[in-house]
Amino acid sequence: MLQAMNFAILIGAGLIAVSALTSLAAQRAGAPLLLVFLAIGLLAGEDGLLGIEFDSGPTAYFIGTLALSIILFDSGFETPTRSFRAAAGPAITLATIGVVLTTSLVGATAHLLLGIGWLKGLLLGSIVASTDAAAVFFLLRVGGITLRDRVKSTLEIESGSNDPMAIFLTALLADLVVAAPDPSADLGWQLAANFSLQMGLGLLAGVIGGLAIAWLLDRLSDLEAGLYPITALAAALMLVAATALVGGSGFLAAYVAGVVAGNRRVRFAARLRRFQIGMTWLAQIGMFLTLGLLATPSEFGFAILPGLGLAAILIFIARPLAVWLCLLPFGFSARETAFVAWVGLRGAVSILLAILPSLAGVPDGGFYFNIVFIMVLTSLLVQGWTIPLTARRLHQIVPLRSSLVNRVELELPGDTELELVGYRIHPDSAIARGERVPRWARPVLIVRNEHAHSIHNAGPLRPQDEAYLFSSPRRVQILDKIYGSPVEPDDPAIFGDFALQAGTTLAELAHHYGAVVESPTPPETTLGSLLMSKFRNQPAVGDRMTLGPVEIVVRALKEDDSVAKVGVVLAPERRRRLRRWWPWRRLQTRLSVLRPRRQPRRS
Amino acid sequence: MDISDLIKPDHVIARLRATSKKQALQDLAKRAAEITGQPERALFSTLMKRERLGTTGVGNGIAIPHGKLSTLDQLYGLFARLDQPIDFDAIDDRPVDLIFLLLAPESSGADHLKALARVSRLLRDKPTCEKLRGTDDAEALYALLVDTAASWAA
Repeated sequence: MLQAMNFAILIGAGLIAVSALTSLAAQRAGAPLLLVFLAIGLLAGEDGLLGIEFDSGPTAYFIGTLALSIILFDSGFETPTRSFRAAAGPAITLATIGVVLTTSLVGATAHLLLGIGWLKGLLLGSIVASTDAAAVFFLLRVGGITLRDRVKSTLEIESGSNDPMAIFLTALLADLVVAAPDPSADLGWQLAANFSLQMGLGLLAGVIGGLAIAWLLDRLSDLEAGLYPITALAAALMLVAATALVGGSGFLAAYVAGVVAGNRRVRFAARLRRFQIGMTWLAQIGMFLTLGLLATPSEFGFAILPGLGLAAILIFIARPLAVWLCLLPFGFSARETAFVAWVGLRGAVSILLAILPSLAGVPDGGFYFNIVFIMVLTSLLVQGWTIPLTARRLHQIVPLRSSLVNRVELELPGDTELELVGYRIHPDSAIARGERVPRWARPVLIVRNEHAHSIHNAGPLRPQDEAYLFSSPRRVQILDKIYGSPVEPDDPAIFGDFALQAGTTLAELAHHYGAVVESPTPPETTLGSLLMSKFRNQPAVGDRMTLGPVEIVVRALKEDDSVAKVGVVLAPERRRRLRRWWPWRRLQTRLSVLRPRRQPRRS
Repeated sequence: MDISDLIKPDHVIARLRATSKKQALQDLAKRAAEITGQPERALFSTLMKRERLGTTGVGNGIAIPHGKLSTLDQLYGLFARLDQPIDFDAIDDRPVDLIFLLLAPESSGADHLKALARVSRLLRDKPTCEKLRGTDDAEALYALLVDTAASWAA
């Protein structure tokens, strides 16, 4: 008995350790890490090296649910309200309508290709309809790329909030397949009611739960430090379970609660984050390993061809089409739309949902599981591996300009927000050139050749020294200008050949560069205000728009986030003619009526 | 669009002496007036007007001042290598020592853009700039400008 237990611990912990260590090699090879975890699970499984027999769907679903709750709570916690302001509209559209569209498109193809019934086809479609939060977050954050703000926020919020929709659809369709629906007329009503109940309750529980968690954490200052993050996590898991028990969507509640709690300034947020980073990693590894173990590759035989075929449809047709339709009203450029379409990674959630048909008693449940497993593997391989490359080719990357090397949030009593920040001194920086710096920006500590010196006996600062100082988070940007390279980005492909003041008018631009605007925009409109309205007062550095033969780019922002400098790209790369295609343009004008009014700026 | 279509050997100034951005543009306007037969003042004010929208100092010691005049008959390019680098309000705050001036007729839409893009691309090439900086002979400078550009076109 004890032997067996120790053996189980040895194997379990061993797999987790191997997974964690493999991350080093995988990152060097650029392989999507989650794929590696899945592969390790497969290798350890019944057809692999260790031959571990694990085929308990319910156990896997249980572990997956726990892990997903942790991941979703954390991804909400790490999503600042700023991202929502930039991307809530497109992201929520993708997470709701987009999921339904993907379900229908994949469902229809499955029905036609595999000759299965409509309902079964749709069930298959709904299982793979959501993008995977873990995979998307991971690849966007750890992939070593800095994406443009709006695209990144859209993708992250979409992936965090579309699981509840896919889960709802899958559960629903599985029920319909099992209990062959009697074609009663009020089925639609039931559906709508059921949907509103799940999402409404999930949202409500999430908001209340998030507020409660934040409130609770703020009052627990006497709690032992180590117990603090555990309390938060336990509260979040309680919320998920309780919401699901009363008929709401627990996963939606987890995500929303994370967002609410994460954006209220809870005490010890830094400690919570550190703990959650670890927990999320554990959850991801655990979930992918379990699902890899659950799969039986020797049974894949019949699923390989349909799986590959459907994956191709999903990647190249269903997802792009759904994304294109969903993003139409939001003024995304063709490149941005293409990139969002490409980052439609499927992951653990889809595999997890593929267990659901068997659990619900759908005959031939293994059929779904094997096909979906192949589809997810394909998506992770094809899309996951190429994300950095695609991002570069579609100009979605903003060069990282910070010379910040270290950033530690400090936990101080009261409302004081301070961070310990470290900068590597750039040879051309203001401080290295001996310019006067404000008192609050002077370093307190210098790290030189791995030795720490106090500022008093460090002597003159040298390039490549690391300077440490205390700063409020708001000043970090200014510090970057003092310690970092003063050179403005000069990649003309990204920031344009020439820099213009934001006050330059359209008429002046047209005079010099022949730029034209088709809509009745008055010629005295400034480029700054044009970009502001194009990007709904949320411009980000790198945002660009086409004006006839040239493109203009947001080069720099002012302190209040309005446009300060505009770049002109003289010879924009030939982009796809999609934009000039007439139905697209006409639809765009029509749909522009539906665009939400501009939000007033935050104070 | 070849660089040799824009610039002739006598449009190159090997050692321009100027102490400020304004003076450099004035000197270039004067030289351009001789070449194009346009009034110097009109040329200078066209260039200054463009500078007010945003500096044409594109960084790394390069400036590409440009402007359009309705009375010009064709595109004109001028190249100057400065004796001493001057402050040009460049985007990277570095002093400028290589200036390519481009003047275009009002009506030259696409050609003007192509020429600007060509010049911009030529002078973004760091090795070329180093070679230009290392030469103070007008003919050699001209050869560098035209040959480098031609070798890319091939």
